[in-house]
Amino acid sequence: MSDTPKIDRRRFLHGLGALGVGGALTACVGPTITSRGAGGTAAGSAAQLLPPVNSSKATGPVSFAHWRAEDKAVFDTLIASFRKANPQADVTQDIAPSNDYQSTALQKIKGGKIGTAFTAFRGAQFVNMNKAGLYAGLGAQPFVDNYFAELIKTGQADTRAQMGLPYQLVFNMPIYNEAAFEAAGVSSLPKDWDGFLALCETLKGKGLTPIAWPGGEPANSGQLINSMVMNNMPTDTAFADIEAGTRKVTDDWFIATLKQYQQLAPFFEANSTGTSSEPLQQLFASGKAAMLATGSFHISAVRKLGAKFPIGLVAPITVDAAKAKYEGIYNATFILGVNSAGKGQDAALKWVQFLSDPVNAAVYANGTAQHVTVKNVEYTNADLKHNAAWLEKKTMLAPRFQFNNLDIRAAVEAACVAVVGGTSPDQAAAQAQGVVDQKRK
Amino acid sequence: MSTTLTSERPPEAPTGPEPERPDGRRNPMAAHPALWLFPVPALVLYITFFVIPTIQGVVYSVTDWDGFSPTAQFVGVDNFVKIFTGDDLFRNALGNNLKFMLVVVVFQTVFSLALAVFLTKNSKSSVALRSVFFFPTILSSVSVAFIWKFVYDPNFGLVNSVLGAVGLDRFQSAFLGNDGQAIYWVALTQVWFHVGQMMIIFIAGLQQIPQELYESAQTDGASRWQQFRHVTLPMVAPATAVVMAYTTVQSFKAFDLILGLGGNPPKGSLDILSTRIYSGFANSQFGYAAAESLVFMALIAAITWIQRRAVKASSPDA
Repeated sequence: MSDTPKIDRRRFLHGLGALGVGGALTACVGPTITSRGAGGTAAGSAAQLLPPVNSSKATGPVSFAHWRAEDKAVFDTLIASFRKANPQADVTQDIAPSNDYQSTALQKIKGGKIGTAFTAFRGAQFVNMNKAGLYAGLGAQPFVDNYFAELIKTGQADTRAQMGLPYQLVFNMPIYNEAAFEAAGVSSLPKDWDGFLALCETLKGKGLTPIAWPGGEPANSGQLINSMVMNNMPTDTAFADIEAGTRKVTDDWFIATLKQYQQLAPFFEANSTGTSSEPLQQLFASGKAAMLATGSFHISAVRKLGAKFPIGLVAPITVDAAKAKYEGIYNATFILGVNSAGKGQDAALKWVQFLSDPVNAAVYANGTAQHVTVKNVEYTNADLKHNAAWLEKKTMLAPRFQFNNLDIRAAVEAACVAVVGGTSPDQAAAQAQGVVDQKRK
Repeated sequence: MSTTLTSERPPEAPTGPEPERPDGRRNPMAAHPALWLFPVPALVLYITFFVIPTIQGVVYSVTDWDGFSPTAQFVGVDNFVKIFTGDDLFRNALGNNLKFMLVVVVFQTVFSLALAVFLTKNSKSSVALRSVFFFPTILSSVSVAFIWKFVYDPNFGLVNSVLGAVGLDRFQSAFLGNDGQAIYWVALTQVWFHVGQMMIIFIAGLQQIPQELYESAQTDGASRWQQFRHVTLPMVAPATAVVMAYTTVQSFKAFDLILGLGGNPPKGSLDILSTRIYSGFANSQFGYAAAESLVFMALIAAITWIQRRAVKASSPDA
């Protein structure tokens, strides 16, 4: 018994504690912390430029990370075609709900195990992903020429290097029931603010909800701000300037915008600040609402809910006709990219090349009822054909995505909801500016 | 020579068979030193999933790390100073969270105790009703959020439709769209969601109360209320402490319910601390969000400690 090894409890616990602390410190893999004043936070690694895609067949797996669960079936069709052309390759879709994707995709994709090919929202997410070095540069790829050059600028870094390829072209402006407009005697779309208010009055007089606006759902209620400011401050940097501090929410142009929201309030559905988009899609599909103030991305959804009438796009012109610079809003998003980390870049690049082909882009566009940024695409979907004229109109790149700080964006958009809920424009603007000032620091 | 850690006890320290302690108990660890290895798997998990993230959180909280850059700058206590002095969004979320917690803790405790009192007996009807009240607990938060989103929809929702149908239009509300009321409506949903779960804890507590106490009280002429007040309540205090502590923590972590009902990010009137922290991480402000997380953790610990002290002070053994 005397040989029985004895362990002193205190020593054992000390050893275990040291092991734990050591392990903890070892595992604390994070950023290198520099002292105060030693320079700002460094950006991610230098951007990698992929060599031009070769003509060999793709091999190996591709994880395609995106947020559009509603597009899964169409992508499955495209994946089947891709596999037919590249039998040694396979693409799996890694789909997260859009809100989750917005919040967590960067961290998930960073390692390269998920998302060898991936997508990003235009705005803060693309900026941060690019800053983190996630995008491998696509500037040398010949298939970049398949895209409208103007529409893929949102996939460029500050240096103008083409890092990603915006794929979807959506119109973030109200959609409307053309049959309801016609029945109300509206023959042409209003060209100024008074005309728009008169239109709403006419529609209301016919017993319709003029505008279905999801004020209870920040992500979709914010879409209306795009067309509300496009002519009130027709610059490419109105919201970026607010974030930079060179403009203020309390400036006259934005107060005027808030007052116009106030004027629209009686034309929204009752209790609009508490309504989310799903019931409003139903309201619109049933013909009881004349306009749905979200965007073209909801056309497909309302069709599935049974809408049979022709659907058009209409943006409120908030100024006099002579002063209006823009007719509507577009956004080039769903920014395709190849992950700079992990394995399988070649197959991922060939998958992006495959999607960039006009024939395959047409499959995507017509299957999802979304326009695309690829040239020479034949649109066969009735709604896409019907609204194809908007591709040629004077439209502004959706300004709400100029915000890179989501708290600032939320504060500015919340001011619009607040005035509809009864807060005075001055007070709502002052509250929003307070948040902007704090979050800019 | 021993191959393992050797004892360096003083010479007078006893060897051989482990003697009994002064209190008469044997030292169980003396039976075999290998017993010390038994907690190791649990400790490894604890260190990996709690200690390390906590240490990382503390380290990040004094930096301006954005979550992806290879370097971050040490900012000292700046993040904490900003949280307490220059962040209206955090203050708003804290205020919402406290309102939410107050409503949930009070109503969930009261309702679950009331249900437990009525359903303590193991009769068939009681067991059936317990199942009914417990049912919402097994639903996912997202399902609950979708159900209540329909209930609260101001135009197509259940509540306003019923109020309209019975001529009580003046009580109709925008519910989640009313900034002054929104957080209370979500709190009500939380109470509905978890009251059955707390009821079970109370039933377990109530069934432990010796029947003799009630018989004795009846003999002394105590009314039903007096029995409840002077027998049930004191005897169920330990269960109350558990329910209140659990409900408090739950209130601070009602993250998925808020996101389900209010969207991501939720609007200001529905923003609570957990969603605010999440927004910070989503906004690539890892350092600041980590600091918020530490404040959040300290707050829950403080409130839980105060509650436990309060319940302990009012328990019969105090």
